[in-house]
Amino acid sequence: MNRLDALRGTTPPKPHDARAIAALAANPGCTRRALMDGAGIDKDAVARHLGFPAPFGQSPFAITRGNAFEALVKADGCAELIRMLRELLGLPIDEVAYHDVENVGAHLRHTHTRALIDRAARGEGVGTVYDHPLFTLGIAGHTAYLEPDVVAFQLGGRFHIVEIKSFAVVDGQADPAAVAAAARQAAVYVLALRTLLEELGHDPLRVADDVVLVCPENFANRPVATLVDVRRQLAVLRRQLSRMTSLDRLLDALPEDVTFDLAPDADGRPARPVAELADAVRRAEARYAPDCLSTCDLCFFCRDEARQEGASDLLGRAVRDELGGVASVREALALADGSRAPAQGQEEIARLLRGAERLRRECLA
Amino acid sequence: MSDRLDELERRIDELRAGVRRAMRARDGSAARALRAELRTAEKAWDSLVSGEKPAGKTQGPRLVTVREQVHQALELLGAPAQARLVVAVSGAFLAGTIRSSQLTSLRRDEERSFRSSPFGRPYYLCAALTDRLSPARGYLTVSTWPVERRVVGPLSPRVDFLTCAIRIAEHAAGRRSPDGDRLLSRMARNIPGAGDEVPPDPARVAEAARRELAVHAGRDAGDRAELAGRADTQLDDVARLFGATTLTTVPRSVMAMGGGR
Amino acid sequence: MSLLTSLARLRAIDEGVAQPIATVRHCHLSARPMVFIPLKLSGEAAAPLAAMLGTDPAEPRLLAVAQPRNRDLRFAWTADLAGVLLPYVAGFTAETETVERRGADPYERALDAPQLIVPNRAGVAFTRLLGRSTRFRRTDGPFPVPEGVPLLGRWLTYFAERAAYPGSSLMLAATDELARHWASGQSALEDANLAALLAWITDGPDDAAEDPLIWPPAGPATDPGFDAEVLAPAMESGSAERIAEALRTQLEPTWRLVWRAVELLRGLEPGASVAQRWEHDRGSFSGMTAQLAEGAPPQARRDGAVAAAARLSRMERAQAAYEVQRAYDDPLVMAEYRLTGEAFAGEVVDTVPGNTEGEGRSRKLRPLVTVKTDDPVRIPPGTSLGTPERRGQGAELVSAGDGLVTLKITKGMGRGKTPAPGAVPEIGERVCYSSLTDEFQGAAALPEPEATPWTHGGPPRPYEPADEDAREEWS
Repeated sequence: MNRLDALRGTTPPKPHDARAIAALAANPGCTRRALMDGAGIDKDAVARHLGFPAPFGQSPFAITRGNAFEALVKADGCAELIRMLRELLGLPIDEVAYHDVENVGAHLRHTHTRALIDRAARGEGVGTVYDHPLFTLGIAGHTAYLEPDVVAFQLGGRFHIVEIKSFAVVDGQADPAAVAAAARQAAVYVLALRTLLEELGHDPLRVADDVVLVCPENFANRPVATLVDVRRQLAVLRRQLSRMTSLDRLLDALPEDVTFDLAPDADGRPARPVAELADAVRRAEARYAPDCLSTCDLCFFCRDEARQEGASDLLGRAVRDELGGVASVREALALADGSRAPAQGQEEIARLLRGAERLRRECLA
Repeated sequence: MSDRLDELERRIDELRAGVRRAMRARDGSAARALRAELRTAEKAWDSLVSGEKPAGKTQGPRLVTVREQVHQALELLGAPAQARLVVAVSGAFLAGTIRSSQLTSLRRDEERSFRSSPFGRPYYLCAALTDRLSPARGYLTVSTWPVERRVVGPLSPRVDFLTCAIRIAEHAAGRRSPDGDRLLSRMARNIPGAGDEVPPDPARVAEAARRELAVHAGRDAGDRAELAGRADTQLDDVARLFGATTLTTVPRSVMAMGGGR
Repeated sequence: MSLLTSLARLRAIDEGVAQPIATVRHCHLSARPMVFIPLKLSGEAAAPLAAMLGTDPAEPRLLAVAQPRNRDLRFAWTADLAGVLLPYVAGFTAETETVERRGADPYERALDAPQLIVPNRAGVAFTRLLGRSTRFRRTDGPFPVPEGVPLLGRWLTYFAERAAYPGSSLMLAATDELARHWASGQSALEDANLAALLAWITDGPDDAAEDPLIWPPAGPATDPGFDAEVLAPAMESGSAERIAEALRTQLEPTWRLVWRAVELLRGLEPGASVAQRWEHDRGSFSGMTAQLAEGAPPQARRDGAVAAAARLSRMERAQAAYEVQRAYDDPLVMAEYRLTGEAFAGEVVDTVPGNTEGEGRSRKLRPLVTVKTDDPVRIPPGTSLGTPERRGQGAELVSAGDGLVTLKITKGMGRGKTPAPGAVPEIGERVCYSSLTDEFQGAAALPEPEATPWTHGGPPRPYEPADEDAREEWS
């Protein structure tokens, strides 16, 4: 059994989806996260067992709305999508062929996707939109299965990833955070399709780094398509995945006997003593930042840990940067009130903190 | 009575909190039990506050069965269609009352009926067949149609969409209705040259659809003829109507499926 | 974020309670603000679910959409909202003052103006979307909406626009204003949670603030657990009372929190420039009232190139003015500039009140003042200075070094041969000078809209609401 599998122990692995892979790039410096993701550990389950369940949840209304919108875009052989591709990318009128990859059994979907993409890349058969394709991507030795919404082909001989999202574009503007998240997710699909083309012996750059983002326009259900350039997201993702393949260094720093095993009982319920698990998790260093609160299942556990340590990370990167690397709240305050002498290299920040402390006292006196 | 209401409200609040706590702890069975209690309490509250017994949803007398309504809609469309479109057409032109959720088990019921007494009914609502002769997800057809019409090649979804648009336009020309106009203009939006007038011009929509149809029709007919030939020689009666089962013995659960959403 | 605020945050963590970062209040607070807490249906851009609103903490008004999936009922809800908000707004238009202007006609300015207070920034954003989704509607034609809805849309749009205008108090987000006056021991991201931020300011941090069962989210998004376990079954039951009661449980806690925030802010003395900025708000409000009275079309979907540039330039100047005013009003804000060397404070150790420059008729009074300061001064000689203590005066830095700064007063000394009493600081007086001054660069030179260059899309077509705007689907 390799080290990563040992970290997970007897708990079944949790496969990565595109959102999880996209989130890997969110906090690349976090060893705890890199190891857990690398080992395919269900962080949500770990967080719950530790007594810090993740604050995430999706409203059934949002789910229903998302599904209904996707169904609308794909209805009648992707009629709406074909209209948008014609308008946006000049798709020729005779390019309308539709393949629903899901028509084959679930276990054949990936093989079928490969065959269809291979045929398209060779210029054989007809194929314009591929619904429900299934890609794979290797993540630290594990295979992640990825389901992009649609792949479109025959736009100048190039493949485009189509991402359907139900957040609205109002007067040409959408929530920037939602667009950024969609772009990160789509970049994972671009990478997966490029990897597939490469494996099949085709030019991976035939996958466009512009993705087609389809959203409802204004307050109606009418879909509108926009091209989003995901080159930057791709670069970040590649860098992060290459780090993930070099987990050995992180593993070497970890004591041999550490495992994040939940030790599930016969009913699959975690039976590992909580204190023991918490102790094991703490052995792998985290880099908590408030951004984790929207991306990582373990965020509440790590925040609690940062609080107990009195880490200035709690306040966010802007504050941390301003403190010039003084990592502890107590240390910063001691430098400010002069009760602690600055270490080498801390002279400047200590001078600033003392000045700030003097001014605050003066103004609040 | 208001004491009783207060008490019920307190109880409902407690139960709600309990359900959500259980949900967060992913304790499904506890949540289900609490939810059941909650429903009872809520029903009691509803009837107390309105001063009457809660009445079930009133449903008008259903004169035409769901199956017959679907059949009528499909005959109007004249091509394999998805449930969504069937429901819309039925509501807009046939005074239909069906909902999409009623269509989910339809095909399975039809298959069961056919298996127990083959050809016992004048028609069956059945599957469209893919290029592997398996049932195509989401499409409905009628057993009395020629096999060529019931198989779908890569171009068929578009061809069928245009065919349906033409049929709807022809139908709408005769009897305008707001629902019909809305359906037609939604389809027109996706057909080049169909215009964007409100309400849509049925003749123009039909003409535009025919124009695009002419581009695909030849290739599609070829694909379909080939598929129909295979269906005729390779499939038995049941499979010809309801699709060949895919050659799979591996259950889905064995696959580690990563969700993209 | 400044180092001073960061230090206050560290101190807040250490002491377990938020620390003040302002000594005065920097926003105007109306005697009768309209607290407005909207909720929206998850997954939709701007589908309203409910709102709790009112001007009296003891009398919250709950407006709930009877059946959130029904589009007509949503419009009925916006009509109800108009029925509350429009009379409130109209109540401020009657009493006005006449303002004389140089080189322009005098105009009427409202003596007081409405003020909307929402819990957080997301509340402002939702107000904007609600305004956008209703202002183009028509009360006649093929898809009529109830009376008052289009007008409501224009006012909501206006308020949301003003909320983005630096220093305006016509629409406030409670979390933003609290965070401007207190530093909590959590991140700015967590400060967006009203319950959490208020807990830091009042009783100390409390994780219950993040528990939706104890403190429901302050909206407009609802708690997914509430949606699944409470709202969805209520909607399924079709009972409007049940839906309304469910939504009330999500709104009432926030209602109390927003009023608590108002109370805390009221406890602070207003800064000296607050009245001036509110006067500007009153003028803007009267301008909007006049536009509506003149039958101007609804605000365009998008600004033309020139209008957008003009708006940006206006906002930048307002931002600069707001920052300077806050520093002049509040020593704790000024301290940020003292820390970076753009301002200094200290004791006057020497003066030459009768110092003059020039000869004969051009001879001018230029008193010299020397200040002893501990602040690290980083202002080059010759820089213009201003001072909160004597706002009409201008000065210039002569020299600085070894904790002593010499400056000369260059403006506001009058024409006399000797300074008026009190015009020159006395020895021993504490003073503060800053290179931040109220003198702003003029408006950017922009072409008239008709002369928009083709690189920027050419002259915009005048905005005429199209039929399509009025019948835009609202599903």
